[in-house]
Amino acid sequence: MLAIDAAAYRSPWRRLHPTVKGVFFGGLLVCALALPTWPAAPLVAAVALAAAFGPARVSPAAFLRAAWGPLLFVLTGSLALLVSVGGPQQIVALDPAGPARAAEVTGRAAAAICCQLLFAFTTPLADLLPRLTRIGLPAVLVEVVALIYRMLFVTLDSARRIHAGQAGRLGYANRRAWTRSAGSLGAALFVRSYDRARRMQRGLECRGYTGELTVLVEELSLRPAAVLAAAAPPLLVAAAAVNYQLGAGL
Amino acid sequence: MTTVHEVLEVGSSDMHIAEGFLPWQHAAAWTAAAAPFVAHGIRSLTHAVRADPDAKLLIGASGAFCFVLSALKIPSVTGSCSHPTGAGLGAVLFRPPVMAVLGTITLLFQALLLAHGGLTTLGANAFSMAVVGPWTAYGAYRLVRSATASAGEQTSLGLAVFCAASLGSLATYTTTSVQLALAFPDPASGFLGSFATFAGIFSLTQIPLAVIEGLITVVLVRMLVRVTPDQLRRLGVLRRPAAAAPTASTEATEEKAG
Repeated sequence: MLAIDAAAYRSPWRRLHPTVKGVFFGGLLVCALALPTWPAAPLVAAVALAAAFGPARVSPAAFLRAAWGPLLFVLTGSLALLVSVGGPQQIVALDPAGPARAAEVTGRAAAAICCQLLFAFTTPLADLLPRLTRIGLPAVLVEVVALIYRMLFVTLDSARRIHAGQAGRLGYANRRAWTRSAGSLGAALFVRSYDRARRMQRGLECRGYTGELTVLVEELSLRPAAVLAAAAPPLLVAAAAVNYQLGAGL
Repeated sequence: MTTVHEVLEVGSSDMHIAEGFLPWQHAAAWTAAAAPFVAHGIRSLTHAVRADPDAKLLIGASGAFCFVLSALKIPSVTGSCSHPTGAGLGAVLFRPPVMAVLGTITLLFQALLLAHGGLTTLGANAFSMAVVGPWTAYGAYRLVRSATASAGEQTSLGLAVFCAASLGSLATYTTTSVQLALAFPDPASGFLGSFATFAGIFSLTQIPLAVIEGLITVVLVRMLVRVTPDQLRRLGVLRRPAAAAPTASTEATEEKAG
């Protein structure tokens, strides 16, 4: 399993309806994106992290491991905002407004990444995918998405095994071998995935498959009170940020 | 759980625009730009499934394949590792409309399972990786295929696949640079200066990566030609029934691939 999905299955918030978590983290995400970065971003990050490390009991180490990739992208991308190119004096010059702009983008993105990741850390995809039809996505698409999700882990496992076999035969010893091994790994995966899909098809047909893949979705109760409670923190953050802005403007 | 990291570089710096990095107006605009292509793809997918219910499992297998492929580690010049975009291969095997859907689903899973890319930036990432990349790759593939129609099947296919994969990869990265430059124009020189900065930072690693991805894809397709020529013929990649037979032109492709 992948680390984030595994953490989501262990999360105490797993039993909460995805809508509740969507309202909570989605509301915070909208606050981070739509409100002025200072003070909205730090407030959003603080609320999201407090909820995650408190009641949702997300492991900080696992969270950091998942977050450093996107944060690295944000930091490299922000570096480009520090300089100005093609100015009248110098071709490349430090932009005096650059640090403020870079800090704003980094703050906004970091807060947004927290919201996205913590939603993923508390909601297994298997709970989320069957409910996507409710937001108006075509049923065929949702079925294909769920099918891809189920086949993903077997395909990942095949890739891991083929990779281990190749590495044991010095398949990744130098760049040339690496290129050849990566190509063969892809080809073998393609052949195996198609073969497995065809065998699965035959197996399903023997069990009366008519084109519908019905699976049991765990019933989670959606209480209006829970949705309201989830909507409260984002609304409070928005009110606090707007209040601060108005106070600063006076 | 941890062994997945041996095969997949989880959390490496890649070109997926992270959540919240784009201003929300840009994120919305790119989502609107990608939407017609994805909707068109969904319609062709629905038609395919309605015409042949058996296609559903194969589409599922293709989607899982695209996800795993785009998470494979490939060597990079800087000593670190990176991922292939898989856009070129996907476009050649499954055609760009289907790839628009499979690519977007792959990006959704990458955002939620691997923390690569974001949910509000899904539209922007889908536009570069599931629309521009596959269409450029497919255009290059058709062009090279028709230009080399007189050459041997192996040479023609090898060249076309190489061009498709590397140009698809380059087009993806160029589009991402354009997206970032539009969002953050340079205070002195505007969009062009900013594009030069972003493209400059990323081209150091992305141009060699595009070549490596091209080579890997050639190896992959040559192996598929040897192992499952029927499957490739069914997908419309191979044109002549005798294509799988090794000919003198094999060596030419081999030199290029090596």
